[in-house]
Amino acid sequence: MSLNDFIKQLDDLVEAASTRFEDAINQVDKEILEETRIEYLGAKSGKLKEVQKGLGKVSKEDKPVAGKRFNEVKNRLEELFQSAADAITGGSGKKGKVEAIDVTLPGKRPRLGHIHPITQTIDELKDIMGRLGFSAVEGPEIEDDWHNFEALNIPLEHPARDPLDNFYLNVASTGTGGGNQLMRSQTSTVQIRVMENHKPPIRIVSLGRVYRPDEIDATHYAMFHQIEGLLVDTNVTMADLKYVLRLFASSYLGHDVEIRFRPSFFPFTEPSVEVDMRWQDTWLEFGGAGMVDPNVLKAVGYDPEEVTGFAFGLGVERLCMRRHGINDIRYLYDSNTKFLAQF
Amino acid sequence: MLVSWDWLKQYLDLDVSEAEVCDRLTLAGLNFDGSSTVDNDRCLDLEVTSNRPDWLGHIGIAREVGVLFDLDLKVPSADVSKITSGAACPMIVQIEDEDFCPRYIARSITGVTIGDSPAWMVNRLRTIGIPTINNVVDATNYVLMEIGQPLHAFDMNKLTGDTIRVRKATHDEKFLAIDHREYQLTSDDYVIADKSGAVAIAGVMGGKETEVNELTTDLLIEAAQFAALPVRTTSRRLKLKSDSSYRFERGVDPEMIDWASRRCCELIVDTAGGEVCEGHVYAGSEPSARHTVTLRFSQIPRILGIHVAEVEVRRILERLGNEVTRQNEKEITVIPASWRRDLDREVDLVEEVARIHGYDQIPEHAGVSLSASHQSDLDRVRNKVRMGMLGMGFDETLTRSIVSDVWSKAFQGWSLAEPLTTSMPMVKGEDRLRVSLIPSLLGARRNNEKFSYTDIDLYEIAKVYLPKPKALPDERYMVGITSGRDFFELKGVIEGLIGMLNPNVRITTMPYTDPLFAEGQGAHLIVDGTTMGYIGVVCDKARKAFGLQQPATVAELDLGALMKLAVLIPQHQDFSTHPAMNRDLNLIVDEDVSWSKLQDISYLAGGELVDTVTFQEIFRDPRKDGPGKKRVLFTVTLQAYNRTLTGEEADATIAQILAACDKQTGAKLLA
Repeated sequence: MSLNDFIKQLDDLVEAASTRFEDAINQVDKEILEETRIEYLGAKSGKLKEVQKGLGKVSKEDKPVAGKRFNEVKNRLEELFQSAADAITGGSGKKGKVEAIDVTLPGKRPRLGHIHPITQTIDELKDIMGRLGFSAVEGPEIEDDWHNFEALNIPLEHPARDPLDNFYLNVASTGTGGGNQLMRSQTSTVQIRVMENHKPPIRIVSLGRVYRPDEIDATHYAMFHQIEGLLVDTNVTMADLKYVLRLFASSYLGHDVEIRFRPSFFPFTEPSVEVDMRWQDTWLEFGGAGMVDPNVLKAVGYDPEEVTGFAFGLGVERLCMRRHGINDIRYLYDSNTKFLAQF
Repeated sequence: MLVSWDWLKQYLDLDVSEAEVCDRLTLAGLNFDGSSTVDNDRCLDLEVTSNRPDWLGHIGIAREVGVLFDLDLKVPSADVSKITSGAACPMIVQIEDEDFCPRYIARSITGVTIGDSPAWMVNRLRTIGIPTINNVVDATNYVLMEIGQPLHAFDMNKLTGDTIRVRKATHDEKFLAIDHREYQLTSDDYVIADKSGAVAIAGVMGGKETEVNELTTDLLIEAAQFAALPVRTTSRRLKLKSDSSYRFERGVDPEMIDWASRRCCELIVDTAGGEVCEGHVYAGSEPSARHTVTLRFSQIPRILGIHVAEVEVRRILERLGNEVTRQNEKEITVIPASWRRDLDREVDLVEEVARIHGYDQIPEHAGVSLSASHQSDLDRVRNKVRMGMLGMGFDETLTRSIVSDVWSKAFQGWSLAEPLTTSMPMVKGEDRLRVSLIPSLLGARRNNEKFSYTDIDLYEIAKVYLPKPKALPDERYMVGITSGRDFFELKGVIEGLIGMLNPNVRITTMPYTDPLFAEGQGAHLIVDGTTMGYIGVVCDKARKAFGLQQPATVAELDLGALMKLAVLIPQHQDFSTHPAMNRDLNLIVDEDVSWSKLQDISYLAGGELVDTVTFQEIFRDPRKDGPGKKRVLFTVTLQAYNRTLTGEEADATIAQILAACDKQTGAKLLA
């Protein structure tokens, strides 16, 4: 390429560019300005870059002149852009002027997920119990009669064992030695497993999914979550149970919460109590509790004359729904992202 | 249990308010669940626990009120001596199985006039929601609600033969009940039968054929005891619940059956006239003697943590109807009341003392010792996974563990065994224990697509149940994921997750074919040679099956495998503080050369100066490169631990990489 051709290319470029920048100024249009900048000064495929390739084809002796002219044009184009930018944004013409922005435009949010409210509730309960020295343990969701019933002092004729009230599995006798298999109907099963394998003292919370056949509606679901605490040691009394539950309630609901014990009945505790908490001027059933029944202690090989213990169980869904004002339990298992995004 | 306030006051001189009574009962274990006004009476709803059938009658509740307020109980004498005729009961009673029916008392009444019950009885029954029928049926219901003992009145003249038998039903025996429905019985059910067949389902409901109506003149009154379990089984199978079956399931007071029979006869004669036949039938055996229970006083502080005076202990136990047989400074021995079959161990008496003395007497400020607790590794890993998924924009969900047959077979990457089934479905048509979370999550996608929601990115951490012969199944925690993002975005999520748990683990991916995945778009995720998960694009056919409109990707990771590789306490590794150098390489390779191969070669050939080998992009230009070729652009980051690299060192390393890639894959550097 001859030097003249190259310089002509450069001149044409300046002329065309100044027309376009002028245009942008006249229309006070930032988009046109930006398009023009990219068109001429774009680092990848701008016209100036294109012309620059011609520089390599200019003969060696013409190169200094061509190079100098190229630099002048480059500076000119940058000036044109800068002054157009200043004109459009009402700038003072200073270089490096920061463009004003519409600060009310929305930010660019990274997407965040959500933790399920049941998980959040469980975590909080575990956390509180952890601070009181109770370690969280888990066990199988599919259990045998021994762990789900027998060891928990629930004899064969007890209504809780009715086939219609449990999800028994259709498997022949299994060789586990524990009788029929079923989806566990309570998390107390885990406590039996822990006690069978460890000597006292025991201080645990067991938790997880439990299953009981139920027509699903706004307040019932055939699958739900329980969390149960167990403390077994020498000299554990009901006063200790009351103290731990008071600490628990204060941690969960605030310091001034009132709690109340009502006698109740559970096969695996005696004495058994229902724990109520005063919440917005009404007594709310918080969960069941009691002193571990001597038959349960015997079933796991403990001596009820040596050790005593207490246990308490809470329904996680009920606490979660109460806390977050959820009025239909089905929301918890519908996977509706609009619901999940609230927590 | 619904209680009439007016009725309750018949048995006690009660001058405390209803509110106070309900409050005290609640704190004694008979929870007050609300009340309403019915005409001039009050109806109290009290929750009775299954261990206290004695509370299923007004007298039992009055007795409890008496204990709490220290009042004497006035039980009607139920004396029929003045209203009997010398006749004998014309029926014989035979009990086939005394385990089922330990005792059966039959009395007959002749010459009754069927009509309306007196107002006082109608009102009381109405208060507690029991419809009134006629003076005979109402009397049986009245006594049922008074003492908790079910009774039944047969029309004597409709009974055939001279024998009432308590027997098992025959297979397929048909029975027309007083609810006008026909029930088909099995040989597990028990019936009361006369010569012609069943006249009542024992403990559940009487029969239409022998029921009392306005023409009835002679009656046979049944008062019996039936075993809980068979009554419950029958009542549940037939979906036939009655006030009677409810009470037999919980147990009646064997020593009050005769009282209930007499009381019922007394009320019938009072309201319908007639005479009670003097000779009554008592079939079965007398209740066995109740054995004594001893309470050591030391057990009260040991279990309750408070001291209760011995005199108070004795007062409570006696007030509750237990007979004290012995007492010294160490212990007290009682014969429990006949209506308290639940009192047969020392701890039962401890509970009684606590209940009546008041749980509110137990302080709330004992000093439980401190104890260390720890978070399990499972919880730590699960929390990390949740944090990671939250950061990457995924919502946690929870779905049902029991699924339909179709869903249970939709993805079987973890087990090809026939899924376990439950004896009854959780919801209609769902009775399989899932072996993968993926189908449930695709169901969750559909739930959201229904609302036209976009950005459906969900995950669940839950168990799958892999069958094992002759043992409890293998329950494994999985992390199931579904997304609308493409394969590589989802793969990136998984890489991010694993990188968060252990930055040094290399996941390898091997193609995996599954009916759920689009052809060539599914993979195993492998760490250290074992499959720890699956990832794939859901194929059109499967999308259709799940009712999905939008593209979907899924993945499932074994949480146990994640726990194995997780580094819960990262250790500081010394790292280079010298600048790194990046070199971009653009290689032309055959289409079948995988990225992981180029990456492996680069690490190996580059040696210790290579810090990372990072993929950038793939580009195809068949015009320039010819068919079956692709350009792979990637960046090699070089860094030495102890010095700043020179250009020559970097060039030499890159040259080694290029040579190795060329030699092993025929890769050529793009000029």
